[in-house]
Amino acid sequence: MSKTVQIHLLRLVLVFLAQILVFKQATYTLGGIAFIHILYYPIAFLMLPIKTPKALTMLVAFVFGLGLDFFYNSPGVHAAACVFSAYVRTLVFALLEPFSGYGPEDSPTINTMGFGWFVSYISVVLLVHIFTYFSIEAFSFVYFFRIFINSLFSFFASFVAIIISQFLFRFKH
Amino acid sequence: MYNVVQILVRFGAPLLFVVLEVFCFYLIINYNQDKKDIFINSSAYYAGRIAEQSNKIGQYIDLQQQNDSLLRENATLIENLISIEYSSDKIPEPDTMYTSYGIIPAHICNSTIHLRNNHFTLCKGYREGIRPDMGVISANEGIVGIVRNVSENYAHVISILHSQTRISCSIKRRSGHGSLVWNGLDPQRMSLIAIPKHETVIVGDTVMTSGYSTIFPKGIFVGKVEKVEKSAGSNSYTITVRLFNNLAGIKHAYVVSNRFAAEKIQLENEVPNE
Repeated sequence: MSKTVQIHLLRLVLVFLAQILVFKQATYTLGGIAFIHILYYPIAFLMLPIKTPKALTMLVAFVFGLGLDFFYNSPGVHAAACVFSAYVRTLVFALLEPFSGYGPEDSPTINTMGFGWFVSYISVVLLVHIFTYFSIEAFSFVYFFRIFINSLFSFFASFVAIIISQFLFRFKH
Repeated sequence: MYNVVQILVRFGAPLLFVVLEVFCFYLIINYNQDKKDIFINSSAYYAGRIAEQSNKIGQYIDLQQQNDSLLRENATLIENLISIEYSSDKIPEPDTMYTSYGIIPAHICNSTIHLRNNHFTLCKGYREGIRPDMGVISANEGIVGIVRNVSENYAHVISILHSQTRISCSIKRRSGHGSLVWNGLDPQRMSLIAIPKHETVIVGDTVMTSGYSTIFPKGIFVGKVEKVEKSAGSNSYTITVRLFNNLAGIKHAYVVSNRFAAEKIQLENEVPNE
């Protein structure tokens, strides 16, 4: 029990540091068309065990997002997006539930749930998260086209980063 | 208390979600200057829109009151018109004539149109100052009838579409006067009789009240001359008048009160019949 908690806490901290130290610096502009933010951090709370209480997931996501906001200097923006995707996560679990259901100890990883399941889960929630983030960042749907383009490119970059990291660290879990 | 706990258990996660998001947006709006500006601008915009809509609804609800106030305004305007009509007369004391006629606006709550003898009921009565033998004119042009009976809150009006109607009328810019009667056929047409044949009457002339009676002031337009007949063996024309107002669709009317009617009638009655 305490070991599981420690692993998850450790991952939260590591992902947090990776985001603010590495991925925060990696911001590109794509020929004046789009900003690419690599939002790697959703993986931190998206990989909490499937049976984690919704409320706990949201609280973790909220604190996590608030911490990021301190470093991004945008109070509330990441936190709002994090809470939203933490909530959406449970709906996506219900959609993707296999016939046999989820085991009590299952975590949403490639190892336990398979590559296809993991890709569909991560892509849906990540897209939701990134779109929410850019919408709240712009704070007005007047800029809808900008939001859409930015979300699309940032999604691909973040998605690639997450999948690569999963293969790099898969033996850790 | 148990129910509250139950609700928290069932809807805890969505509630927490809403609470956290609200808090996040509170932070976003208060600590990000650009988003604060957007929020203030758009909330002002939407608040303005909502205020505009509610204003519209309020106006709609208020229509009845506005209608009434317009009626009152019209009444004063008609009063002024009548006094202007009299101010061009060479009667030496115009200031008494100015206030000679008063106008009381009223709704029509019941009416008949297709009988031989038609009636109206006004939703105002003695309390508002309506008395028997006052004239009733319509909102735009034309006359409606004469008050016969008055109760506390209602007035019974004999329509001009009545077999007994005889209204003293003249023709605008021509001399001579006659009586307006209704032959009971067409609610849009009446006959003007007893205009002597030596007067000139042309189709298209405007018929107006003569002001010889105490009921209607002079100069209220009644209708247009549609047909002029010279019946053989008679000394006067029979003129068909097309009314300006359509009494079938009428909703409002104005009661004309002549403040000196009693005085005039008394004076006229002092002259012994010859």
